[in-house]
Amino acid sequence: MTKTYHPEVKRLLDGELTLAELAPELRAEGEEALRLMRVLDRAPVTLSAELDHRVMATVRQRARSPAWRVWRWLSAPREVELRLRVPRWTVWGGALAAAAALALLLTRSPAPVPSDAVAAQREVVFVRFVLYAPGAKRVTVAGTFNQWDQNAAPLVPAGTGGVWTTTLAVPTGQHQYAFVVDGRRWVADPAAPAVDDGFGRRNSIIAVTTQGARTL
Amino acid sequence: MDSRDATTDAEIVQAVLGGDVERYAVLVERYRDRYARYAAGMLGSRDAAEDAVQDALVRAFDRLADCREPARFAGWLFLILRNRCFAERRQRQREGVLPEEAADSVAAPERSDRAVEERERTRVLERALLRLTAEQREVFVLKHVEGLSYEEIAQRTGATVPSLKMRMHRAYDQLRELMKEQV
Repeated sequence: MTKTYHPEVKRLLDGELTLAELAPELRAEGEEALRLMRVLDRAPVTLSAELDHRVMATVRQRARSPAWRVWRWLSAPREVELRLRVPRWTVWGGALAAAAALALLLTRSPAPVPSDAVAAQREVVFVRFVLYAPGAKRVTVAGTFNQWDQNAAPLVPAGTGGVWTTTLAVPTGQHQYAFVVDGRRWVADPAAPAVDDGFGRRNSIIAVTTQGARTL
Repeated sequence: MDSRDATTDAEIVQAVLGGDVERYAVLVERYRDRYARYAAGMLGSRDAAEDAVQDALVRAFDRLADCREPARFAGWLFLILRNRCFAERRQRQREGVLPEEAADSVAAPERSDRAVEERERTRVLERALLRLTAEQREVFVLKHVEGLSYEEIAQRTGATVPSLKMRMHRAYDQLRELMKEQV
């Protein structure tokens, strides 16, 4: 005697057929299959209340470790993955193509290489800045990459939870920066190391390389 | 912390990444029990499920910066838990732990309101379920315990609906055979 279910009985178990839709000769097998499913334990499983405490104790311990802070900082910008790298040959190739097109269209001599094409050779990396500032009305980031202009780079709220974020094109190199909350309070990035600026404030430091941004 | 907190998962993830580690407690409370039954179904006991859920929540925190869609934290956490459950089953197989040993505290505690015969059938079915492959067991648990459709299971696991059906139909046959052996 075969121990496999008839394909129609499997459809019954899948919920695609009802028992009444089964051929009469398959109903006994169908009933047997449904009896099997009826004894299945579907009661909710509640875990012990201690689980929350254990998880949070471990989480707090991990959060204090420099490794987690570095990992958080290194990993977060990768969500954006908008690194802009313009190889030299692309710039010159693009300029030559544009020049050739102009020559054909205007029957003029090739155009000079646009001056901004040279600037495009400078490498920039897109870096995401995040600050948790609940209750803030306005948050900006100022640093060596924008001549400490506290109005140049506003952050925008990510939802209503007090998280502010922005992504900036930052030239490669080492930079100092700080967040400016509500136009008056300068706040160092809690996710990056900071140094004294000599005026009683703390500035955060990042190194921006073609491999990404990292804390020092 | 209160799981009824109206803050979205995405906002909490961003806050934690922004340095407010205590906010992670909201996610812990929100999801600690949601996948417990799945883990118990996969591993055969509440204790094993608790260990798995705890590990998954800690691992999710460790890798929170990798959560590319914070709004879908729940699905991402499920995948971490799923990997943890599969890894434990593989380890059990390597160590030669018999499924029956793990099934002793399967989610069928003594209940006064359940007939002895039915309880025995439940126990036999749970033991039979532990003999399925991890993939067969998963699709069975998600469909018949969690009540998901094949389409929903496909979304969660990344498998296609036809392959899930094939796994399930083989599981039905195997369960029937195992039940006849054990009864």
